[in-house]
Amino acid sequence: MDKLFVIAVGGTGMRCLEAFTHLCAIGMFDSKEIELLTLDTDQANGNKGRVEKLIQLYNRIKTGGTPNANTFFSSKLNLYRFYTNYSGQGRENYKNISKINSGTTEQQKRNQLISDLFLDNESVQEFDLSHGYRAQTHLGSMLMYHGIIEAARNIVRGTDVKVQEKELDEFVTKLELAGQDARVFIFGSIFGGTGASSIPIIPKALQDFIKIRSKGAASIDFSKAKFGSTLLTEYFTFKKPNDKQKASKENSIIADASYFPLNSQAALQFYQSDPTVQRCYKMLYHIGWPVESKPVDTGSSQTITGGATQDNASHITELLAACAAYDFFTRTNGLDVDKTEYVYKAVDFNNNAFSFSIHDFVGNGNKAGERFANKIGAFFSLAHISLTVNNAANGDAGIKGFITRCQEQKITQYNTITDAECGEINDYFKAFAYTFESARFTPGWLYQVRSTVAPGTFIFDSKAFPESLSELKKLDVGTIFLDEKNHWPKGGMLANRYDTFIKKLINLGPEEEQQVNTTKEKFLAHIYNAITHSQGFHLI
Amino acid sequence: MESITAYTVSVIITLVILFIAAIIANVIKFEGGSKPRDPKIRKLWFWILCLLNPILIFLLGFFVFMPDGNVRVVKNYIAALSIGTVAGFFLYILLGFILSRLFTNGKLGHWF
Repeated sequence: MDKLFVIAVGGTGMRCLEAFTHLCAIGMFDSKEIELLTLDTDQANGNKGRVEKLIQLYNRIKTGGTPNANTFFSSKLNLYRFYTNYSGQGRENYKNISKINSGTTEQQKRNQLISDLFLDNESVQEFDLSHGYRAQTHLGSMLMYHGIIEAARNIVRGTDVKVQEKELDEFVTKLELAGQDARVFIFGSIFGGTGASSIPIIPKALQDFIKIRSKGAASIDFSKAKFGSTLLTEYFTFKKPNDKQKASKENSIIADASYFPLNSQAALQFYQSDPTVQRCYKMLYHIGWPVESKPVDTGSSQTITGGATQDNASHITELLAACAAYDFFTRTNGLDVDKTEYVYKAVDFNNNAFSFSIHDFVGNGNKAGERFANKIGAFFSLAHISLTVNNAANGDAGIKGFITRCQEQKITQYNTITDAECGEINDYFKAFAYTFESARFTPGWLYQVRSTVAPGTFIFDSKAFPESLSELKKLDVGTIFLDEKNHWPKGGMLANRYDTFIKKLINLGPEEEQQVNTTKEKFLAHIYNAITHSQGFHLI
Repeated sequence: MESITAYTVSVIITLVILFIAAIIANVIKFEGGSKPRDPKIRKLWFWILCLLNPILIFLLGFFVFMPDGNVRVVKNYIAALSIGTVAGFFLYILLGFILSRLFTNGKLGHWF
């Protein structure tokens, strides 16, 4: 069985990883253990912090567990974090980090000349690198490559090895051990800074990392290793930086979203013609947003360059990128190519809006579309039961309500699940769907994704996304799908859908083939079975 | 003969009341929320009908099924009806308990 590796680079890469983590939570990667690496220059980046918190929460929910099948949280995730260090003295910008002003006078002159040939002296060489490469991909590719190589050299030297370098080392060790069974998928944009800089160089940088660490004894064979990535073109925009903000040297370069379409075109040309990319990557997935991009920084007066404030909302293109990873990890053919294959598909566009059906995400072979809808629908229903019916969104019991219900029905095997463990599951649902913070509605990942498609269609009925307390109270959690045939059964004149669902919950339980071991895994598998039976997808 | 009539009335009314209690338990829907009230409502209805059962047995036995006959016959009937009323009360609880254990994970499980 192939070993799965995911590398997320830059702000967009982090949001793609967030979508990927939610796919793992809904149970799309059954029986898999997946190694995840976050790679950034900006260790304080809001999106990076958000996804790392989410994965840590996922892992707390999964504590003591193993990979399972046909249940929620079915895969096991191992998180590694690496960031290039641009915060110490002498590492703030290109000029300092490349030590242009060291060596003899003649060497310094040559250093300066060659730097000036490729990089603008006043701006590109002097901007603050801690907020990423700011759409300067020519600089970024070089620095990211050298960041990874520097880590390898530090590990070989064995002194002053930083935590992030150790984590990168662990990740690469697993990659090396997997050998030709490794499938590596890289998330990042091609129009911005860090992701766009890194995607072309990561396979080569990892190869050289292994070579340096093993002193030439080991390497990655690109004819056998399976690398895939997304060609994610521009899909969001933000404020154009003004002269006042660009006045300081640290901010002399700020990414300008108006150039994103041009950046995307140039990047696509590069990916098409670059022999290293063509040799390293087996599959590249074209993902774009061919309509007007929405601004992500509506509440800010300045262009956000990075840091904790770069905490952009999620977009459906990121879910599509995660689905591309699903395709790459599950495909049984097409990976033994010598040159990159390009993958793309189109979605219906009517009345100035996209219409996404269940078949537009992971394809329709082997009823994959139905399986995806079944799993995401079950998770969304459970999120609504926890947050809306059991009111966890406003601090009430949430998932604990299910344990109470089981106790009432004399199903006592879940009594050992603690309030804290239930709280963690509730927190995950808040990140997935929605919550209320100080009585203010805060959309979670799925609400944000759906809002980027509205007024177009998106698997679920628009009524499944209420935002006010009064509308939420009226929600029937058994009717979230657009297609009525997937609504939970009504159960006759004297029952309702929820009543019928609880009867199913009582009569079902976890099954052996789900390979669940811990009490929490059994509990989640039990609920998964009750909801998926209620939805009535025909999967065989 | 009078005694048999009284006991039969007790048993039949007890079974009918128990059947009604089971229907009510099933009609009450499972509720969501952190503190669902439906188990308590089912239990409450079970005990309300438990109290109603002997009253109904006695009233129906006295006013509807009372045999025509001499004082001895009536006396015997009343004595049997009284025993039947008490027996019906306990029979209701006993059968309710057995049903509750048989369907322990279902709605009837909330009776005990």
